[in-house]
Amino acid sequence: MTGLDIAVTGLGLVTPGGVGVEAGWAAVRAGRSTAAHDPVLAGHEVTISCRVPDFDADALLGARRAVRLDRFTRLALVAAREAVAGEDLAGWDAARVGVVIGTSAGGVETFERQHGVLLADGPTGVSPLVLPMHLPNMVAGQLAIEFGFRGPNLVVSTACASGATAIGVACDLLAARRCDVVLAGGVDALLTPVTMAGFARMGALSRRDDPATASRPFDVDRDGFVAGEGAAVLVLRRAEDARADRRRVRARVVGYGATADAHHITNPDPEGRGVIAATKAALADAGASAPDVDHVNAHGTSTQLNDLVEGRVLAELLPSGPLVTSTKGVTGHMLGAAGAAEAVFTVLAVEQGLVPPTANLATLDPRLDLDVATSAVPREIDLALSNSFGFGGQNAVLAIAKA
Amino acid sequence: MRFDGGEESRERGETAVYETLKKILVDTLKVEPEQITPEATKDDLDLDSLAFVELSMVLGKEHGLHISDDELFDMETVGDIVALMEERAGDRS
Repeated sequence: MTGLDIAVTGLGLVTPGGVGVEAGWAAVRAGRSTAAHDPVLAGHEVTISCRVPDFDADALLGARRAVRLDRFTRLALVAAREAVAGEDLAGWDAARVGVVIGTSAGGVETFERQHGVLLADGPTGVSPLVLPMHLPNMVAGQLAIEFGFRGPNLVVSTACASGATAIGVACDLLAARRCDVVLAGGVDALLTPVTMAGFARMGALSRRDDPATASRPFDVDRDGFVAGEGAAVLVLRRAEDARADRRRVRARVVGYGATADAHHITNPDPEGRGVIAATKAALADAGASAPDVDHVNAHGTSTQLNDLVEGRVLAELLPSGPLVTSTKGVTGHMLGAAGAAEAVFTVLAVEQGLVPPTANLATLDPRLDLDVATSAVPREIDLALSNSFGFGGQNAVLAIAKA
Repeated sequence: MRFDGGEESRERGETAVYETLKKILVDTLKVEPEQITPEATKDDLDLDSLAFVELSMVLGKEHGLHISDDELFDMETVGDIVALMEERAGDRS
């Protein structure tokens, strides 16, 4: 065993299933899609999305705090508060606490809105807060301001793998003993007109009329992803420290593989070489081999290309047939938040011995030889993988083990 | 009861201009209304330089009152800002 052994001791979630870990996990377990027609997208080619429902930032954060935050930071701040809710923050050595958050694009809603102001009112109409609200690094900076954490503070960006990459980087910071605790997670709030028009033009989004059945990972009739938004934050510390402090450990991150396809800006390498290498690296980190894997929370976006390549790689690499799921059938694709939110779902699956279902999987793509959960399945899980792949060919695989 | 009326509120510095400023502080900058008094300093209200840029923009755009953020930032209290606003409004008329 190469020795990556990082304890997950806190969880926070804001997802299309609702605010909080309980709401998100309940939605995922129930296996019902959260997609709906989105009034912001009226007149667009694709009008469906998975929004966080009933997110009242003024009530959750206070109007004074919220007015200076883009939506992406609001979502992350609420998730972070939940993640540290049980902690005695005053007892932490603030200089040894890091923050690593993944986001694909930062405060795009603010940027798009202020571009509208520029066109309407000219340069002097633009808000002095556009940069503090929009810059992607601000989410990590705001968490430091909120809690007083003074250790390494950074944002990583690997598109749809960002949240998983952030957890991997956080584990490396802990293993290198640069930090004693790291808040790691992912966030994106990109259900904005320009972003969604761009995704639609790429042909990446589902064109189905019925929102409830649009996101259907691994299904033969899948035709694209449904964009979602959200945030997930995990409290991570070295497992040895967590045990010494007698903390409740929810699960452990025991492996991380990070690779690049070096192939194409949006299409995965058809042979999945980068994904294979990342999976092998995560397993090597964990000192595990293929038959040890009991469950995989797949990237499973519901696009033709991703699900075919990922499904083939899983079948080839893990012939023992772990129970696979894609929670994106429920949540849609939360983009930079997806990898972190799915790591949270994987932690809960391991902790509770329950594999959540893949919503809308009616007929498995016949080209795939996979065991995919279509209902919530009780299953003893010692080791699970959580896959995340980004445009640009960036791959991150996390290995998550029972506490 | 209206604050921009009677002698008593005027003596406390709570004029129509004061109410205009208060409304901007509450609506745009989300300051808690009960924090705002003529004597309150910018530190009391936790107003930084960016907040004064926003204040300057709202005064110019919505009230035709052109005062730079630097001039506003030089003021110490809410009452000082009101005095500057009244002076400029007087210049204009």
